[in-house]
Amino acid sequence: MDFSITDEQRMLRDSIVKFAQGELNDNVIERDRDHVFSHELWRKCAQIGIQGLPVAEEYGGIGADALTCAMALEALGYGCRDGGLVFSLCAHLLACVVPMWRHGNEAQKARYLRGLCDGSLVGAHAITEPGSGSDTFAMRTRAERSGAGWRIHGTKTFISNAPVADVAIVFAVTDPAKGFHGGITAFVVDRDMPGFTRGQKMEKLGLRTSQIGELVLEDVIVPEDAVLGSVGGGAAVFSTAMDWERVLLVAAHLGTMQRLLETSVTYARTRTQFGQQIGKFQAVAHKISDMKVQLEAGRLLVYQSAWRLEHARSAALDASIAKLFVSESLVKTALDTVQLHGGYGFMVEFEVERALRDAIGATIYSGTSEMQRSIIARWLGL
Amino acid sequence: MSDAVRAKVKEFILSAFLPGEDPNELKDDTPLISGGILDSIATLKLVMFIEETFNVQVQAHEADKEHLDTITDIVALIASKK
Repeated sequence: MDFSITDEQRMLRDSIVKFAQGELNDNVIERDRDHVFSHELWRKCAQIGIQGLPVAEEYGGIGADALTCAMALEALGYGCRDGGLVFSLCAHLLACVVPMWRHGNEAQKARYLRGLCDGSLVGAHAITEPGSGSDTFAMRTRAERSGAGWRIHGTKTFISNAPVADVAIVFAVTDPAKGFHGGITAFVVDRDMPGFTRGQKMEKLGLRTSQIGELVLEDVIVPEDAVLGSVGGGAAVFSTAMDWERVLLVAAHLGTMQRLLETSVTYARTRTQFGQQIGKFQAVAHKISDMKVQLEAGRLLVYQSAWRLEHARSAALDASIAKLFVSESLVKTALDTVQLHGGYGFMVEFEVERALRDAIGATIYSGTSEMQRSIIARWLGL
Repeated sequence: MSDAVRAKVKEFILSAFLPGEDPNELKDDTPLISGGILDSIATLKLVMFIEETFNVQVQAHEADKEHLDTITDIVALIASKK
């Protein structure tokens, strides 16, 4: 097996790290405190191609394969200390742009992809509802035939990017008798469609520069060509989004873990207590060694899963394994980083407390750890 | 031809989703999706089995109760692609 990376991948990775470190980290403490989503930084990221990484050049992307996308997002997570911005970019790219690119017809791609790639549009993915998160069968949003199109009614919640979204992929029940497979349809809904509002904005523990909130659809009338994929084919659209999100969102987490590891090593080599560097204490050294092991193991899982996104019939099992392992490793790495920084780790200006707050959501979004374990068990035939 | 396809499909469903169950209980018209034997992951596993074993492509809108709910439905779907 050849684990080397190409010169092009190395150049892309290095350029993103340099860009992120130079352009994305100013005032991050204040932006996090004030829950600020920065359209300016969003557009800057688009200028170097983040929002269109896997999309073909004809639609405004840079045409990177999934493995290269993983390396690029890892670089972004490493260089950018604004975890909320990285999360918003990933939610947009992996759960809106990718499904649009993979399942959209030519008219939809022509209409939306360039704007989604060039930073002028913000995308969202709306499936979760007040009464249905992991239990998608409990979805209450309905779409019924209306003239030449569809009438959609329902409320979505916990939708990343919702308060700033220009376009959303909205899932609705179109055939209650068929359930999730065959009974759910994905629709592309513009912010300007009458009856579509972006609802209540929510505050959260971490990832505060990423906006989250409700999307309300009050008898929104959409045309027939708003159907993404096929009528009843929403499960396929959702699966694409989840496979890419579970693999590539945690690719960004790898970068964060690398940064926290380096931060911890530097601190452990310079902070002295009882006449020696604290890194000489086994209790500290072992924590840092575990960070390294989890990072390297996680990277292999992510790269393998990313490869399968392009080359296998389904990457669903690999995606769940990678998501479970890396998200739990991220939380542990962030917690250990705070712990070994002692009192300084608890202070805002050291920025590791924010890394911990940002990390906590990782085992919840895109399918909780409990859901990932259940999915893995089902693949094992249990 | 269809008997061989039917046998392979039945054997897979028994081994993958009904371990330890009496094979005689699985009929050609036993409801698989609506009967709760196939959930979303099992349906995906079945689709992967069909594609790899019979060298056909199952489209996204075909992975539903209408096409996969019984062994008879599954055999018909495979036959329609040959």
